[in-house]
Amino acid sequence: MFLRMVKGALFRQKGKMLMIAFTIALGASLATAMLNVMLDVGDKVNQELKTYGANITVMPKGASLLDDLYGIEEGSGVSDQYLRESELGNIKTIFWAFNIVDFTPYLNTKARLNSRNDEVELVGTWFSHYLNLPTGESLNTGMINMKSWWDVSGEWLTDQDENFVMVGSLVAGRNNIQVGDSITIDIGGQTKELTVKGIFDAGGDEDEQIYAPLRVAQEFTARPGLISRIEVSALTTPDNELSRRAAQNIKSLSIKEYEIWYCTAYVSSICYQIEEAVTDSVAKAVRQVAESEGAILEKTQLLMLLITILSLVGSALGISNLVTASVMERSREIGLLKAIGAHDGAISGLVLVEILVTAVVGGISGYFAGLGFAQIIGRSVFGAVIDIKPMVIPIVAVLVSLVTLAGSVPSIRLLLKLRPAEVLHGR
Amino acid sequence: MDLLELRDISKFYGNVKALQNIDLTVKQGEWLAIMGPSGSGKTTMMNIIGCMDKPSNGSVVLEGTDISKENAKNLTNIRRDKIGLIFQQFHLITYLTALENVMAAQYYHSMPDEKEALEALERVGLRDRARHLPSQLSGGEQQRVCIARALINYPMLILADEPTGNLDEMNEGIVLDIFKQLHRDGSTIVVVTHDPEVAEGTQRTVVLEHGRISRITQNENK
Repeated sequence: MFLRMVKGALFRQKGKMLMIAFTIALGASLATAMLNVMLDVGDKVNQELKTYGANITVMPKGASLLDDLYGIEEGSGVSDQYLRESELGNIKTIFWAFNIVDFTPYLNTKARLNSRNDEVELVGTWFSHYLNLPTGESLNTGMINMKSWWDVSGEWLTDQDENFVMVGSLVAGRNNIQVGDSITIDIGGQTKELTVKGIFDAGGDEDEQIYAPLRVAQEFTARPGLISRIEVSALTTPDNELSRRAAQNIKSLSIKEYEIWYCTAYVSSICYQIEEAVTDSVAKAVRQVAESEGAILEKTQLLMLLITILSLVGSALGISNLVTASVMERSREIGLLKAIGAHDGAISGLVLVEILVTAVVGGISGYFAGLGFAQIIGRSVFGAVIDIKPMVIPIVAVLVSLVTLAGSVPSIRLLLKLRPAEVLHGR
Repeated sequence: MDLLELRDISKFYGNVKALQNIDLTVKQGEWLAIMGPSGSGKTTMMNIIGCMDKPSNGSVVLEGTDISKENAKNLTNIRRDKIGLIFQQFHLITYLTALENVMAAQYYHSMPDEKEALEALERVGLRDRARHLPSQLSGGEQQRVCIARALINYPMLILADEPTGNLDEMNEGIVLDIFKQLHRDGSTIVVVTHDPEVAEGTQRTVVLEHGRISRITQNENK
């Protein structure tokens, strides 16, 4: 009989129940969309931010030490310290290999342009380098990925362009260099004529440099297999107190803290693991970039969380109003049930089951609608698909149940106060 | 044997004296009418007899037990087990069929039994309308469903509040015939009514005025 009553209430009062289900669906859809976006926004924002450059620099240990202690960025002991190109693949073998988005090596050397006295810096690097990893996998990485915001006139170099260079906009301006011009590079008396394939505007110190494929620079400087530094772009977790302590002094961590830190994608733990993978290297976070990324990420997630909470509160208020209105409308029916012998618990149970069944229907519809909303947000904001997180299902189920129950409390209280004599006879 | 005894009952709503010093006894198997103008206290009296309200003073003794001090839960149990309620407005659950409305009373009393509920509807001549919703029934038919619901748990007291108040002459006749049959079968019936024709059919008429019993008439033709 209980089920017949619930069925009767649900199917023969479709309008009211659909309105409640719609309100619940609205809350559930917002919660689903926001939670999915919130849980995925970290990766999306990180990827978005990674298009603006590297957040880790790897240098030879000696060069890093002089830079740290004396602020010496070039000269003996700095410029003559190198890392091995052959170890670059090791970066993709660390614990957080999947968080390493891109990396590219640099070999810097001083050169004279067109036999003039002013020196420029020639930088050898990878542009779009196909790399076979020690794990058997392969990777395509280099400047084109790492410096995607550079404004290039002409074309990007490829790693096979042995007779071409890209020239920074300031160097090109000073020397009236156009795309297609030939320039002469002189390094220690050895000269080479190269054609300008592209002129770039990076908006930084790079505009004073000339870029060539790494192999060209290595041959030119007679340093085969050597590189000066590596820039790494990695997806990282925002820093917290643990990561800051680790960055200051790793020995201050307990074994458990060390494990947590090592197994979390903090920029400091990724740096530590890179140092383990590349011989005699020091990896440093480009602190400003890392901190900005963390702050943007935290703020975005906080915003999403607030919107989720507000949407759920709004939904709870909506449900509360609708259920209370529904109970008010049914006050005679509820008074009658009390008159014929139903206790408060039985009536509350009946109303709650009706609402919970409605909540299940609304919640499921809302969940799927929310997945759609999440994709709309993902495409319009990030231009990417939002990954569906299975953990959102139990969270939304619990939230919908809590919101529905919380929204039903005022009506249940009202219902318990109803006296049959008052609603049936107006006394 | 006395089934119901009201001893010096008074009921106040703030300063309003709805009932004052009512003494009344209803015997088992008796058919009693309570009459009076609007505001005389008829409905208040029915609510107190029907365990839907408590007196401010005095005691209500049902089957030898004083129920005037019982809590709401016990009063619900007494209402469920011993009293059948019939309302002027019928008060059927709109989304349940006639049969389900009768079975709802069974459900809260003990166990729903569809066969027994159908028999109760047959007694009021509505077996063929059992699967209809209240909105598909006439006023007279709805009142008969209400009577079937009141009878389904074999109550010791049937309380009817203006049972013919919303009915046309033909349906009023049908409902009164059902009451007559119930009375012949030994049911105790208390009817609150404005209608002298309904009161004339009962054994005794209690007239209320300003919350007091102004007279009690024994209907001699019964």
